[in-house]
Amino acid sequence: MKFSYNWLRELVPGLELAPRELARQITMKTAECEGVEPYAPWMQAVVAARVESVEPIEGSHNVKAVVDAGPEYGRRTVVCGAPNCRPGLLTAFVPPGVTVAGGKHVRTVLIQGVESQGMLASGAELGLNRDSAGILELAGVEPGAPIPGCPVDHVIEVDNKSLTHRPDLWGHLGMAREVAAFTSLRLADPVREELIPNGPPAWRVDIRDFDLCPRYSALVFENVTVGPSPLWLQARLEAIGLNPISNIVDVTNYIMAELAEPMHAFDADLLHGETIIVRRAEEGEELEALNGETYRLSPSNLVIADARGAVALAGVIGGAGSAIRESTRRIVLESANFEAACIRRTSAALKIRTDASMRFEKAQDPANTVRALARAVELFQLVSPGIRLVGGLVDSWRRPPEPKPIELEMEWLSRRLGRPIAKDEVRRILESLSFGVEEPRPQVFLVSVPSWRATRDISIKEDLLEEVGRMVGYGTVPPEAPLLPARRPWVNEERLFHHAVRQMAAAQGFTEVSNYSFISEEMAQRFGMAPEEHLRVANPISVEQSLLRRSLLPGIHKNILDNSRFFPSFRLFEIGNEIHKRPGRELPLEVPHLMAAVYARDGGAEAFFELKRLAECLMPGCETRPCAPRSYEHPARTGEIVWRGRTLGRLFELHPRFIEQGRASILDVDLAAMFALGPLPKKYTPLRRFPVSEFDLSIVAGLRVHCAELAARIRGAAGPMCERVQYLYSYRGRPLPEDRQSLTYRITLGAPDHTLSSEEVASVRSAIIAALEAAGYGIRQ
Amino acid sequence: MLDSTLSDIEARAVSAIDAAADAAALEEARVEFLGRKGALAQIGREMGKLPPEERARIGRLLNAVKQNLEERFEKKKAWFEEQALAARLDAEWLDVTLPAPGLRPGSLHPLTQIQKELEDVFTSLGFAVVDGPEVETEWHNFDALNIPPTHPARDAQDTFWLENGLLLRTHTSPVQVRAMERFGAPLRIIAPGRVFRNEEVDASHEHTFYQLEGMMIDRDVSIGHMLYFMKTLLEAVFRRDVTVRLRPGFFPFVEPGFELDIQCLLCGGEGCPVCKQSGWVELLPCGLVHPNVLRAGGIDPEQWNGFAFGLGLTRLVMMRYGIDDIRLLQSGDLRFLQQF
Repeated sequence: MKFSYNWLRELVPGLELAPRELARQITMKTAECEGVEPYAPWMQAVVAARVESVEPIEGSHNVKAVVDAGPEYGRRTVVCGAPNCRPGLLTAFVPPGVTVAGGKHVRTVLIQGVESQGMLASGAELGLNRDSAGILELAGVEPGAPIPGCPVDHVIEVDNKSLTHRPDLWGHLGMAREVAAFTSLRLADPVREELIPNGPPAWRVDIRDFDLCPRYSALVFENVTVGPSPLWLQARLEAIGLNPISNIVDVTNYIMAELAEPMHAFDADLLHGETIIVRRAEEGEELEALNGETYRLSPSNLVIADARGAVALAGVIGGAGSAIRESTRRIVLESANFEAACIRRTSAALKIRTDASMRFEKAQDPANTVRALARAVELFQLVSPGIRLVGGLVDSWRRPPEPKPIELEMEWLSRRLGRPIAKDEVRRILESLSFGVEEPRPQVFLVSVPSWRATRDISIKEDLLEEVGRMVGYGTVPPEAPLLPARRPWVNEERLFHHAVRQMAAAQGFTEVSNYSFISEEMAQRFGMAPEEHLRVANPISVEQSLLRRSLLPGIHKNILDNSRFFPSFRLFEIGNEIHKRPGRELPLEVPHLMAAVYARDGGAEAFFELKRLAECLMPGCETRPCAPRSYEHPARTGEIVWRGRTLGRLFELHPRFIEQGRASILDVDLAAMFALGPLPKKYTPLRRFPVSEFDLSIVAGLRVHCAELAARIRGAAGPMCERVQYLYSYRGRPLPEDRQSLTYRITLGAPDHTLSSEEVASVRSAIIAALEAAGYGIRQ
Repeated sequence: MLDSTLSDIEARAVSAIDAAADAAALEEARVEFLGRKGALAQIGREMGKLPPEERARIGRLLNAVKQNLEERFEKKKAWFEEQALAARLDAEWLDVTLPAPGLRPGSLHPLTQIQKELEDVFTSLGFAVVDGPEVETEWHNFDALNIPPTHPARDAQDTFWLENGLLLRTHTSPVQVRAMERFGAPLRIIAPGRVFRNEEVDASHEHTFYQLEGMMIDRDVSIGHMLYFMKTLLEAVFRRDVTVRLRPGFFPFVEPGFELDIQCLLCGGEGCPVCKQSGWVELLPCGLVHPNVLRAGGIDPEQWNGFAFGLGLTRLVMMRYGIDDIRLLQSGDLRFLQQF
């Protein structure tokens, strides 16, 4: 919402704050100002000038005009291309050295052999309206005087979000009331309610649904002349970003911007019958709107209708069929109040956001409709001389219940604020904002809420705390630590566990990444996951981001490809949620996973074992068991991670089809399952009192025997004296045959109660050898 | 007779020890003069034939010579050992400027680091750290937070809706409600986490970012109390003086509601792209919890009240490290991440 500084100053006479300072104070007391821009600063230098003579320039549609630009600029020769440049015309003169709208810089230049000493300007060139058909035509002004009604202004832009709860701040008067309150100045209300005519209304209104339309007021005018608005009105609308259209429409927009009451003018001669009907649309009813679009409506939309059908989408947009046109002579001027939720639903469903719908969806004040009409009576007389009222006020409404006064204890107010505050100051603040204040009991106020704050904004004492707090300034509240019992807070063990996993991964050289929760259908399919098993985003930003990830793999895979362009090798990991769809509207299962990856451009199998080491650091004693590969896994380099009897994840090398250059290995661990197992219990075993014995064995086996399987056999055969079986190395080559390898293990034996004799050791050794030989393995001596 | 032999031996031995060029020559001299079959041992044996008084005199003389020679010998020997050690050490010269091999620790994501820091700060202030789901119900994300379906405040949060009517949480605020449901009053929690908004991505907008929600519910919580926690929080985060201001802000789940702004740390308030030239950065929407929200969480607003705040962690990280492009945080680019 844009506010005109000049307009606010008219409503708060005596306001001296400079625009930026005013904006700062509005930000601190009321709503967030996003910026202050000067509006038409060149108007400082632009003056009225009279065209004295006009000569054609040969071979050009331009003319050479001599103008009287008043005492300061004197007589000037100007080259002008406007068709309306004629002797006697009073227009606008821009002296050289001034930059006007659109950054156009005016200089003294030679045009077609004529020295042009300035510029005669159109409304569009001065940013006062959109008219670029000819130069301005002024009246009643002396050459050299400023352009009447078009002084330099400043536009204060306020963040719409911070006005969401304040229907009254969608008009200048509401903001002016705030400014008057915090500057202790008087508010000048522009509305003269006595202008509302008495007598029976000429038209009738039939509201069929008072819930959706609590009030509909209207006035009927005749002898209307439709034409452009006076320049001051056009300029004011232009300043706050509204497009000047015609005098009648511009007045309705002006009042909307002033009083926050959207209005609509119908051409009365284009309506059928003399009754305005406010009703729900019929299913499939169509309306051609002012924007040229035709909308198919439903009963959830409220329409204004005449005897034949819908003529406007209530509170959102008018219909094309009854719009004001140049030939319009009689108008019905609507000033109504509509239920916020209904307007919002319609606006959202039909995707039409208008200045009107934006205001109505904030819950406007039903008491405001007639005030707006009174203002229109005054302004119409200014812009359409000769206009006459027909009959009295048309007004139908169901009065909302009187807002309940709010009880406000001074003691409570101080306690919540965190500082003492004097009763008189509270009263002064509330009254400056038009609240009614009574004191039925000492130190307790009964506060009545003005109608424009009562629609949704203010209903409880907490709302009044805000009014007082913002006006005294929150900067006056001292920070203070509360006095509280020393209770130990609940400890989020799972979160601490995730932090510990992160620390371990980082300590092992892995860098943490964070990927999006979104993936594309194509990505899902690429990794063998059916798109329909994913939760789908109904309104994705793009098809690339239409599914919620059921695996961290697509993101990690992308990280690998991206980073391989810059690094010959790297390690990375992510901890994030897999999102698993559940039936119906049940919340999905969000399962935290760790996924770590090692990439090497010229790597062998080291990457795989680095990840295996990470797994073993996280899960001491875990096993990697060979398992059936998935489509994206290297079929001969894939295993499952098993810890304490549970399968917790997978360790694999990425299938070469998924990576062009180099190798990448990936570890995926279900952190929820791992956390559920709890930390590994720690148990003390007394230190060994007798020495251990150890010996090495080299076992001859096939090339694809699993190291862990042989170790298990050794352990099984060694019996209770076996302390440890440690794999040392493997050997291939002569004298072994080509299809054989030898694996060397170190076996450590011991007993808790004596030193083993050499006979005991030898017998265990023999037992191991016998078992291995029985299983088809050889022993290398 | 023996006297002169002895002094002769002593002179020869001294010159042999002095002349020894290495440890082996020295040892040879030791054997020759001090060994079991050496010259002095020979004197000792010959001494037996002397009369007792003479024997005693020569014996004393012999011992003196022996002691003298042994001392000289030991001294020289130690010198050789020292030389040898010095030579060995010199040969072991190491280029200490060579790079050390092996892995370095990886980095934790800057968002993780700041989350952990804030968790520690708030834990020390008696707050519990609570998690909530990323996929939420409309009720928890909006209705329970005093944002009914037709409320215009829903516009401010462009929502990702899911096919089954659920949504991706647009803020961490639904965790307020979940925490009230779970723990009741009194309550002190923070909830850091990932949130989603349906926005086009550019250098300063992301559809995925991080917030930290905080809530305290107790008896008679004031704006002054809230300010204390906000100030403590920011001092802990920035480890320096920060200039802040509190101004009105509208959020349906608090009443009154505030925006806490911090003076831009990148430009010091001069104006830069990060603060949109304003010198201030909106950092912390906060306020006193709206009674409707307490009711939605099953807490009686006549008995309890509190404050809540939502900290933009992503923006905080960007300010702390001067990161000028929000997209880097979710890029997975190690050139960026390894800097932290």
